[in-house]
Amino acid sequence: MNGRPQGRPFLVRFAWAGMLLAPSALAQDPARGEQMGQACAPCHGPNGNSSDPRYPVLAGQTVRYTYLQLRDYKEGRRQDPDMTPVSANLIKEDMLALAIYFSEQKPISIRFEPDAERAARGKYQADVALCPSCHQGQYQGQNEVARLAGQHPQYLKKQMLDFKSRARTNDAGTMTSLSATLSDENIEDIVQYLAGLY
Amino acid sequence: MKTVGTHGKGRFVILAALGVGMSLAYNPAAGQEVKQATLWGDMTAVSQDMLDRAGSDASNWLHTNGNYEQTRYYPATQINTANVRKLRPAFVFQTEVVESMETAPIVVNGIMYLTTSFSHVYAINAVTGEELWHYKHKMGPITTYCCGPNNRGVAVAGSRVFLGTLDAKLVALDAKTGKPLWEMQIADPDQGYSETMAPTVVGNKVLIGTNGGEYGIRGFVKAYDAASGKLLWTFNTIPENSVGVWATHDATGRDMKRDIAAEKLALAKLGDPFKSLGGGVWQNPAVDRATGRIYFVVGNPSPDLDGSLRPGDNLYTDSLVAVDLETGKYVCHFQYIAHDVWDLDAVSPPILVDVKDKLGKTVPGVLHGGKTGHVYVNDRKTCGLIRFSEAMVPQENMWVLPTKEGARMLPGANGGVEWSPMAVDPGKSLAFAVNLHQPMTYHVESTPYPAGKLWLGGAFKVIPGEEQWGNVAAVDYNTGKVVWSAKTQQPMIGGPLATAGGVVFAGEGNGLFKAYNSATGEVLWQFQCGAGVNAPPVSYTLNGTQYIAVAAGGNVQLNYKRGNSVFVFSLAE
Repeated sequence: MNGRPQGRPFLVRFAWAGMLLAPSALAQDPARGEQMGQACAPCHGPNGNSSDPRYPVLAGQTVRYTYLQLRDYKEGRRQDPDMTPVSANLIKEDMLALAIYFSEQKPISIRFEPDAERAARGKYQADVALCPSCHQGQYQGQNEVARLAGQHPQYLKKQMLDFKSRARTNDAGTMTSLSATLSDENIEDIVQYLAGLY
Repeated sequence: MKTVGTHGKGRFVILAALGVGMSLAYNPAAGQEVKQATLWGDMTAVSQDMLDRAGSDASNWLHTNGNYEQTRYYPATQINTANVRKLRPAFVFQTEVVESMETAPIVVNGIMYLTTSFSHVYAINAVTGEELWHYKHKMGPITTYCCGPNNRGVAVAGSRVFLGTLDAKLVALDAKTGKPLWEMQIADPDQGYSETMAPTVVGNKVLIGTNGGEYGIRGFVKAYDAASGKLLWTFNTIPENSVGVWATHDATGRDMKRDIAAEKLALAKLGDPFKSLGGGVWQNPAVDRATGRIYFVVGNPSPDLDGSLRPGDNLYTDSLVAVDLETGKYVCHFQYIAHDVWDLDAVSPPILVDVKDKLGKTVPGVLHGGKTGHVYVNDRKTCGLIRFSEAMVPQENMWVLPTKEGARMLPGANGGVEWSPMAVDPGKSLAFAVNLHQPMTYHVESTPYPAGKLWLGGAFKVIPGEEQWGNVAAVDYNTGKVVWSAKTQQPMIGGPLATAGGVVFAGEGNGLFKAYNSATGEVLWQFQCGAGVNAPPVSYTLNGTQYIAVAAGGNVQLNYKRGNSVFVFSLAE
């Protein structure tokens, strides 16, 4: 699955195992977030700057988005063969510590060169769908709404298609509803636009 | 009202005389960065009498919406239709937060208290713009908010400043230093609660509602003790029996196409949905000091577009509600739209004015500017509807039900009048509202409550190729007629100020701040602020000079250019 070393999920669990009984007040301890964040690096890159287009950049992601996605993986509202087991043993403070840690890391540009025509069409489609009213004008995200600027196009496209096919439904209807109005071409255009932002 | 204005200025002269030789005193004891926020010696405390008489106080701006009646009508005439073209910036105050600004600055005895996104408060000299102190709220790790990290301002009373924060706290600050005195957790932000509204203080009570109607909360208005922060009462905006009377028509008599039989089946199956039914209270209550009642409006049911999970009228969403100030007990309500599935809810704060009833008799009334584009006029005694105005924006296809593919209906889900407060000129019996025209399609998508995440139950989309615009509209609340309407380039959000000088001020997303003739709608003056002017303006008078202040920080919801400034204008010499 995904061609990664098979033993890694075990290592991830092992790395976190020592922290499971830590007091709840540690959610905002930067050292704790950083220590836990190291365990994510094999997929999500150093400091959450993934260079593998299958795995999203987490650096600079909003705290609440990362926290809620981890919570959703743990509680079964979002499924992923890697993330579901990884999140199973996390407690709320772990998830918050990780979310805070990644939000504080500086995202490094993925240097994606979009097709200019597609990106222009994508911007138009995104404006019509009122994407900026939640994701913000420069797609920096806010709150529980994900930062999308400079995200890997392959990952973005998979999410949009998953919303459309309802393989992913943990957005409470907004994204499943909007993506249903978009053709696969529209989605490709929007992805080109978003991945080219920084 | 002119005599009132003169009175206010007269009082100001006395204050100014007292202030001679008492310029801003730097107080080392208060810390390196903090200068004492007082221009007038000990006269910094805001008495209940001052708060009660704010409507005739031409020196200060003491409430978010001007006075307890929330008229946003300023009684001075120095700036008027004849000279407003000479308005120039006196100073610009820049905050360190470049993000949407919705603050209505409070001005008391020469000090301006303004807020920014992420719950910062600044106290500045209201004549020079010099910063006195800056309170930066230490935000908790969890904040939940749908429409930007906004803050709409503070309340003042005694020597305290009260602030609601994005992580759902109520904070009392020392007005002189900005140091926190107490802090109370209003509700759990992890469950979707947050605060962007300015509190209202009356007597010993600090009143505050809640955001969260997009998150499956159960809304409320709470009263806290101003001295200690102790919770005094809670009024749940969603009663445990939220079903109501199965109303099939809205307040204007239009069929809402409800499938009552299906709703009754759903009710039997799901039970009363009160625990996650939403009903946020986004804006200040109006306070009727004569009767001891407060009037506020309650926002949309959760989830916004999907009615299948919430059978019934969804009381008291989309309603005007009156409760007793002392006890927080229900007095009366009026639901504008039952079982709303369009998010055309009630947000713009109610205004208390005398109105003509259906028989032409003058009675105490309540006005509300709806997202539907109507101004609703209700009887203050019973909450009952007296009349509704002509629509201020195009309406079309009301009430078509949202569909999966998207159903076109006007107004779009932002209104009409969004959260923007209205202003009134009681002498002209006019209410001034800023409006949006944004054609949209309404899409429904049924999803169970997603645990503290945005829960719209679908989505809204604007319609490609259809023009969007805004307007400033003047409505005669005694007849319901739109007297004038001035179109603007972009949909409007922020709100107006009306003055006894016959001028209405309102800003736009493109950075223009304009003055209109309140009788005709003619544009008399405009100034380009460089970022969206999407906050309600205020006015005050100091050293014999009348000022107009407005924030230019742009807007998240409509994605207007962000800024970080409060512009303060006065007449050029």
